[in-house]
Amino acid sequence: MNNIFPLQKPAKVGNDCLIQVTGLSKSYVNGTGVIRILKEVNLKVHKGQMVAVVGPSGSGKSTLLFILGLLLIPTEGTYLLEGDDVFSLDRSAQARFRRQRLGFVFQSCDLLENTTVYENLEFPLIYAGVERRERPARIAAVLQQVHLEHRVHHFANHLSGGERQRVAVARALVNHPQVILADEPTGQLDRVNGHLVMDHFQGIASGGDTAVVVVTHDTEIAARCSRICSLEDGVLNG
Amino acid sequence: MKFNDLLRISTLQVFRHRHRYWGVALVIGLGVAGLITTITMAQEIKKNINLDLDLIGGATIIRGHFDNQKASMPQWFRPETKDALGRLPGVMDISLSIYALGQSKWGKEYYNHTVIGVDDAFWQVRSLSAVNGRLFGAAEVTGHKLSCVLGSRLAQNIFGQQNVYGRFLQINNDIYQVIGVVGGVGDIDLANTAFIPVTTLQDRFPGVLPDHLYLRCRTWDDVAPVAAAIPGVVQARQPEEQLRVVVSWEALKRVQKVSWGIELLIYVAISATLLLAGAGIWNVMMGAVRSRTQEIGLKKAMGAEDRDILAQFLSEALCLSMGAAILGVALGRLLVEITCSLLGSRPPEELFFLALGIGLGFAAVLGVGAGLYPSIQASRMEVVSAIRYE
Repeated sequence: MNNIFPLQKPAKVGNDCLIQVTGLSKSYVNGTGVIRILKEVNLKVHKGQMVAVVGPSGSGKSTLLFILGLLLIPTEGTYLLEGDDVFSLDRSAQARFRRQRLGFVFQSCDLLENTTVYENLEFPLIYAGVERRERPARIAAVLQQVHLEHRVHHFANHLSGGERQRVAVARALVNHPQVILADEPTGQLDRVNGHLVMDHFQGIASGGDTAVVVVTHDTEIAARCSRICSLEDGVLNG
Repeated sequence: MKFNDLLRISTLQVFRHRHRYWGVALVIGLGVAGLITTITMAQEIKKNINLDLDLIGGATIIRGHFDNQKASMPQWFRPETKDALGRLPGVMDISLSIYALGQSKWGKEYYNHTVIGVDDAFWQVRSLSAVNGRLFGAAEVTGHKLSCVLGSRLAQNIFGQQNVYGRFLQINNDIYQVIGVVGGVGDIDLANTAFIPVTTLQDRFPGVLPDHLYLRCRTWDDVAPVAAAIPGVVQARQPEEQLRVVVSWEALKRVQKVSWGIELLIYVAISATLLLAGAGIWNVMMGAVRSRTQEIGLKKAMGAEDRDILAQFLSEALCLSMGAAILGVALGRLLVEITCSLLGSRPPEELFFLALGIGLGFAAVLGVGAGLYPSIQASRMEVVSAIRYE
């Protein structure tokens, strides 16, 4: 079978440390006691780097991603993004942080239903306070990156699975984030579309300013990243 | 989130999910239409009912007269007093009349009865209509004509029938042409009366002056204040010794009680409709929040703050209620027009706009009140749980 997806060379990594996580732990308390999901995780991600976090189901990969995205509060640890201590921010400031500096791609929750591609991409711009007259150009630019400019006014439920995920990637890019966080972005896609999405991530990272962190259980997908970390029993290696 | 973005997004969402909202929208629309129609047309309907109130004793008619038997000097209603009374708020029409005693002769028979000299407004004020022939108008009054209208009982007694148009009758020493017979009279005395133009009576009965007055009020709510104002108005323009103001208080109370009961029933029905609509909004919004849980999580991940989510869902509830209310306004306008054409009268346009304002205000309160709890629930959703919700 022809390999139509040649392995990408690792993107050029910038020297700046974008994400610095130290001693990150996350525990839950239930009826039986304390469950430790993450145990003193340390992680550094540089600009332009594409990092895969792999591990078995239930190992805490998504929990780590959500903490990096300020969607979950850790039990302990520090998190610096370009030197800013993000855990010290209040709820409102964290929301502002998310819309200005982070982009998300989820597995099961990709696009807003009953809305067009344009409207899906417009939402992050609305929350970021971008003027209405600037939005069409920015949306067109990111759709061009994922080669879906011809679908701009189509409804989300009229797109294929692969197209939906690519639009989700475009949405994550529309506010020019510093970090893209992707939770199993290819989990519901076939092999061809999965690699297409990874092509886009590599293109983003190769720009040198944005880091991409991909959580996946697929080793073939993980192999497309410049760095692979494994998470087992709450401990991050790599 | 900017206001125009919020409005655009909310309106689009409501429109695109209209299959979910149409039931609630229908109820709100009907409730608002009912409210607008009731507020706008209530006075007109009361006015129209008022015109047919002789069946229950003419509850909105006020009778004024001077009890000249007890007065030191006979009094009568001056023209300026009549004009001033006619201008009182709530007065629809006014008529002066003179009572006298008469004797009719037909063949060899003599009949004693009351003769009332009336002006052309008398019939309207007393809601009287002709069962035979016609009632005399301004021409007969200004022309001092020798025309008369008979009460139905008097016509029957004298002629043995009521079909007496064109007959001639001697009343006292004058020959009058009968031009009509008046019917629909609940008062027996009037049925046994001959009516002649007030100017003619003054010509034929020297020395008599208009000492009786009838006022018809627009609605039964105007009766009490008008009755209270009459003595002051009379006193300001002439002696008011032995002035009597007579109101059918019992009949008025019965009418007001019935009217109040009917109005209460209507407003309770409309309020119940709108409250049910509010419950409907609450229910569909809770359903929307549940079914759009992932959407909420996704938006928060994109950077929406709690207040953005609250504003969006609250705005959708408001769009739903206000959109339905606007349809209700259109339906209400149609109902008002239909009712106006049926009644043959039209209320002031300001009343419609007042009702419109009340209806839209009520709908806004309903939208916010019913949509607030679901919106708060949506805004407080925890992001990760929402994203993972299935």
